[in-house]
Amino acid sequence: MSRPWTSIRKNARARQIMGGLRDLFSSREFTAGFIIFASLVMFSTVGSALVGYDPMASVGPPNIAPNSQYLFGTDSFGRDVMSQILHGIQLSLIVALLVSTVDTFFGSTVGFVAGYYGGLIGSALGIIMDVMLVVPILPAIVLITVTVRKVELWLMAMILSLFGWAAPARQVRSQTLSLKAREFIDVAKISGARRSEILFVEIVPHMLQWMSAHYVYDMLWAILTEASVEVLGLGPQHMMTLGMMLFWVIRKAAMYRNLWWWWITPIAVLICLFVSLYLMHRGLDRMVNPRLRGRR
Amino acid sequence: MVRFGRVHKYFVKRIILFFIIMLIAIFINFMIPRLTPGNPIVTVIGMLLRQGSRFENIDEIIDTYERMFGLKGSLPEQFVRYLTEIFRGNLGYSIRYFPVKVSVLIGRSLPFTIFLLGLSTVISWVVGTIIGLLAGWKSESNLSKAFSYVALVLNVIPYYMLALVLIYVFAYLIPIFPLTGAYKGSLGMNWANIEFIKSLLWHSILPSMSIIITSLGWWFLSIRSLVVDLKGEDFITLSEAKGLKENYIMWRYAFRNSLLPQVTMLALSLGGIVNGALLTEMIFSYPGLGLLLFESISTADYTVIQGITLIITLSVGFATFIIDIMYPLIDPRITYEES
Repeated sequence: MSRPWTSIRKNARARQIMGGLRDLFSSREFTAGFIIFASLVMFSTVGSALVGYDPMASVGPPNIAPNSQYLFGTDSFGRDVMSQILHGIQLSLIVALLVSTVDTFFGSTVGFVAGYYGGLIGSALGIIMDVMLVVPILPAIVLITVTVRKVELWLMAMILSLFGWAAPARQVRSQTLSLKAREFIDVAKISGARRSEILFVEIVPHMLQWMSAHYVYDMLWAILTEASVEVLGLGPQHMMTLGMMLFWVIRKAAMYRNLWWWWITPIAVLICLFVSLYLMHRGLDRMVNPRLRGRR
Repeated sequence: MVRFGRVHKYFVKRIILFFIIMLIAIFINFMIPRLTPGNPIVTVIGMLLRQGSRFENIDEIIDTYERMFGLKGSLPEQFVRYLTEIFRGNLGYSIRYFPVKVSVLIGRSLPFTIFLLGLSTVISWVVGTIIGLLAGWKSESNLSKAFSYVALVLNVIPYYMLALVLIYVFAYLIPIFPLTGAYKGSLGMNWANIEFIKSLLWHSILPSMSIIITSLGWWFLSIRSLVVDLKGEDFITLSEAKGLKENYIMWRYAFRNSLLPQVTMLALSLGGIVNGALLTEMIFSYPGLGLLLFESISTADYTVIQGITLIITLSVGFATFIIDIMYPLIDPRITYEES
């Protein structure tokens, strides 16, 4: 008896997802962002399979302009810039995915709990969010990384998440507070749903789209902040991230010495990453707030 | 009378919340160095030994230093002393420049940061707002759409990356502007001297350009969307029907009404200027808080880093608090009630 029903529901769900995807890709902004982002990911995965240099090792003479052997030239230590870029993109994406996942899930959970259950715990969590939003992120991360000294990539991601969860938490909390007061929640209560059931069935689904938009935005934030910390010479020292490349560019004054291939490439790649993520975020955001759709 | 009571309650609630938030932020700042390994006293004594100092009563000296760095007594005692010292404006001693006080170092850098960021923020706001207003009013034109895409890209470019490009352009290709420092060293720091002010402005051109250009996008986009929204409002249609001149409608009706949120955002970002452009200062060796932070990182001077974090936390927190309180006064549609 129940099988045809579930299969209809499954079909409906599949159609819903397909429809959502079609909506998403009908947004020019999202599509453009997605294409740039996907090409960067392809570029770095295919590229690192083809270019076999160790990004940290001197593999050739220093300060060589781009040529057929070193496509993006070499830096002042004779390291291959192309390999650094390919590797750097991957490291940035790893950090971005780690930070975004932790922030969005942990932050949203705290937000749901604080907003839905309220009371003393809700207020206390609200105050903690406010504190975290006031603490200046860059100096605070600097203070932590300086005192910790040896920072691995995953630890860097955790430190970023320490400051990244509060923004989504606050947003989810205020949304939950307003959803809680709507009529359909009363209807669910009257029909005898349990509190946790109401939370998961009635409230969480309303926030999923917002969470996906925030997920993409948080990736941008994580890459940006991680690069900023590394430009100061902090973070994982034994890895060539894009931020660490910029640190060496500044340290070796590459701009003054016309070593353009060394500094233009990481900046160009980072800006492409930022632009693509931002475009995808805007596309998703428009789906969440249809009011914004008409705006250009 | 009822309304006044509610406002009053809102203020009291906000003030209490502000103090709680600040207290916790200070506590976090207090705990971070104490939770991690490393002892500033060992560092300072080691440094003095290397400089050739001799110590007679080492226990007594350690005792003095423990008191100076606020490491004496139990943690709660230390925290209470830390708090009282902060209220007296004492942030402890720099490890690197011992026995110079952290507050002296920060006091030297802060005016430069405030000058650079204040100037850049205001210029960027004025330029971005005017262009955005015009673009929003003519939102169907292709030029306006093209500007929006430029602004979108500018909006996500970090200022310090633009700073690197500027260095390349103006150091290597067109060497006209000074690249480092905040003023000509021979003039000395004298805020009353007109030559000093000129030199200060001349030196701030490149660093401020990096901030102005990258933040233009944001001001542009925000006012543009406000004006586009306003254009559909009834009172604009009415004034058009009345036959008022288009320029008149734009300045008197659209601009005035979209200005309020824009001014609020300006106030917000002025509140955060201390946190502004730490990396630009480092790239241009501009002697503000950012450069001080960078130097303290390279010398592991964590009492100074701690001081900078605290100063930024306090000023950003205070600015947000002031704006929270002011907001309902500026915009009567926002009530003092908790949502």
